[in-house]
Amino acid sequence: MKDVLYFAPTELTEALKLLAQYGEKATILAGGTDLVPRINYYELKPEVLVYIGNLGLDYIEQSDGKLVIGAATPTAKIAASPLVAEKAAALAEAARLSASPAIRTAGTIGGNLANASPAADLATPLIALGATVVLVSAKGEREVAVEEFFKGPGETVLQPGELIKEVRVPIKKGKSVFLKLGRRKAMTLSVVNVAVYVEMEKGQRCVDARVALGAMAPVPLRCKKAEGVLQGCVLPMSALEGAEFLDKARIEKAAELAIAESSPIDDQRATAWYRRKAGKVLVARALAAAAGVAI
Amino acid sequence: MKYVLSFNLNGLPVDTLVKATDTLLDVLREKLNVVSPKRGCDNGDCGACTVLVNGEPVRACLTIGLTVAGKNVQTVEGLQQDGKLHPLQRAFHEHYAAQCGFCTPGMLIAAKALLDKNPKPTREQIVEGISGNLCRCGTYVEVVEAIQAVAAGKYKE
Ligand SMILES: Cc1cc2nc3c(=O)[nH]c(=O)nc-3n(C[C@H](O)[C@H](O)[C@H](O)COP(=O)(O)OP(=O)(O)OC[C@H]3O[C@@H](n4cnc5c(N)ncnc54)[C@H](O)[C@@H]3O)c2cc1C
Ligand code: FES
Ligand code: FES
Repeated sequence: MKDVLYFAPTELTEALKLLAQYGEKATILAGGTDLVPRINYYELKPEVLVYIGNLGLDYIEQSDGKLVIGAATPTAKIAASPLVAEKAAALAEAARLSASPAIRTAGTIGGNLANASPAADLATPLIALGATVVLVSAKGEREVAVEEFFKGPGETVLQPGELIKEVRVPIKKGKSVFLKLGRRKAMTLSVVNVAVYVEMEKGQRCVDARVALGAMAPVPLRCKKAEGVLQGCVLPMSALEGAEFLDKARIEKAAELAIAESSPIDDQRATAWYRRKAGKVLVARALAAAAGVAI
Repeated sequence: MKYVLSFNLNGLPVDTLVKATDTLLDVLREKLNVVSPKRGCDNGDCGACTVLVNGEPVRACLTIGLTVAGKNVQTVEGLQQDGKLHPLQRAFHEHYAAQCGFCTPGMLIAAKALLDKNPKPTREQIVEGISGNLCRCGTYVEVVEAIQAVAAGKYKE
C-alpha cells in the first residue's frame, strides 16, 4: 500500500494551500467519526489526510443577527451551548439527540454536513432555520444555503480544494422544533427526523413556516408544499383575519403534503412504508408544538 | 512514511513511530502495549475502546493517532493513584459490574468522563452517560448502581 501523507496545519491559509496542491487526492479529516470506520474497513484508501482540528474553527458566536458556528465545532459543544439552545432550539435538540457522548465530543457540525448522509441529524434543523454554509478554497469564499448544499447520498456541492469554514444560522423570532425517531434512543441514526420553524404574528397568524425531513429522500429535504398551506393561516380562536384556520386538520394536511414530497427507501433501519407513516406523525407533532396548536 | 507521534499518556510523555492511518487504538494496543482499551468493532459502535483525550471521552478506534499529538490521553491504566484503585474501580468490583470484563474499561472511562463533569448525576444522566457503551454480558444494572454509589460518596478515601 502506498504511504499515506498526513498534515495538521494550524492556519486556514496553509490548509487551503495543501487542499489546492493535492486536489482530489486530499481527504479532509475533522472528528473522524464518519471517515475512520471507512478507513479501518478499507472502504476508503486515503492518499493525503489534512486534519482541520487545529485551525481554530471551533467556535459558537453571535454576530450580525446570526449564530455563527465554526465547521470544526464538536456536536457536544453545540448540544451544551446556552446560546444555541436560545437562538436555534431545533439545532440544539438535534445535537443533543445525536449519537452518544464519546461520538459527540469528536464529531463536528462540518463533518456531519460534508458527509452528506440523508439521515444527518444536524442538516434538517439547519434547513428549517434557513442556515447557510461558508465554503472556502485558495480561490475565494462562497456562501451556499444548506438546502442547496446536498446533491445525493455522500455528495455535495463541495469542490476539490474547498472546505466548509462555518455555518451561519439567522436568528429569527419564531419557534423551531426537532423530532427524531430512531431504532433505539441513543447511538442510532434516524429512521426519520423532522425539523420545523414556525413564526406566529401576535402568536396567532402564521407568517413563516419551514419544514424539513431527514432520512426520507436521497438528501435532507425541504418540503415547500407543506409550508405553503400553513402560510397566512390563523389560530381558530383568533380575532385576526386569515385565509384559513391553523387547526388540527390543516396541520395534518401539511404533514400529508410533506410526506407526498418525500421518497423514502427500504433499508436496514426501516421500510419506506413505515417511514411514511411515522414521518407524517412526526411532522404533525412538530408543527403543532411550534405553532402552539393542540392536536 | 512514518511520523513521530508525541503525547502524554497517563501523565507520562511518550514518543512512537506511526503511520498516518494508525488509529489511537492501534497506537495504544499495538505499539505501546496499553491494552485496557478493547477493539470490539473498530467502527465506533461498541464503546469498548473509549479513552479520555484532554479529559473528553472519545473512541480510540475512530481517532487518527497523529491527531492527539501534544495532548493528554488517559486510559484505565492511569486511573489508580498510589497503587490504590480508583473509587469507580472499587465500586465496579464490589457491585459485580463486570462479567467477562470486555466492556469494563470503556464503561469506567465513560463513567469517569460523566462524573468529572457532573459529580451528582441523576440515574437518567448516568444511563445517558454510558449510552454509547455496549455490554454483551448485560451488566448495565450493576454498572449504573456502581456509578450511583460513587456519586453518593460511598467510595471516598
Ligand atoms: C456510532 C456512531 C453513531 C452515530 N450517530 C449519529 C447520529 O445519531 N446522527 C448523525 O447525524 N450522525 C451520527 N453519526 C455520524 C457522525 O458522528 C456525524 O456525522 C459527525 O458529525 C461527523 O463529523 P466528523 O467531524 O467526525 O467527520 P469526519 O469523519 O472527520 O468527516 C466526515 C466527512 O466530511 C468531510 N469533512 C469533514 N469536515 C469538513 C469540512 N469542514 N469541510 C469539508 N469537508 C469536511 C470529510 O472529508 C469526510 O468526508 C454516528 C457515527 C457513529 C460512528
Ligand atoms: S472498538 Fe471502538 S467503538 Fe468499538
Ligand atoms: S461484562 Fe462482558 S461485555 Fe460487559
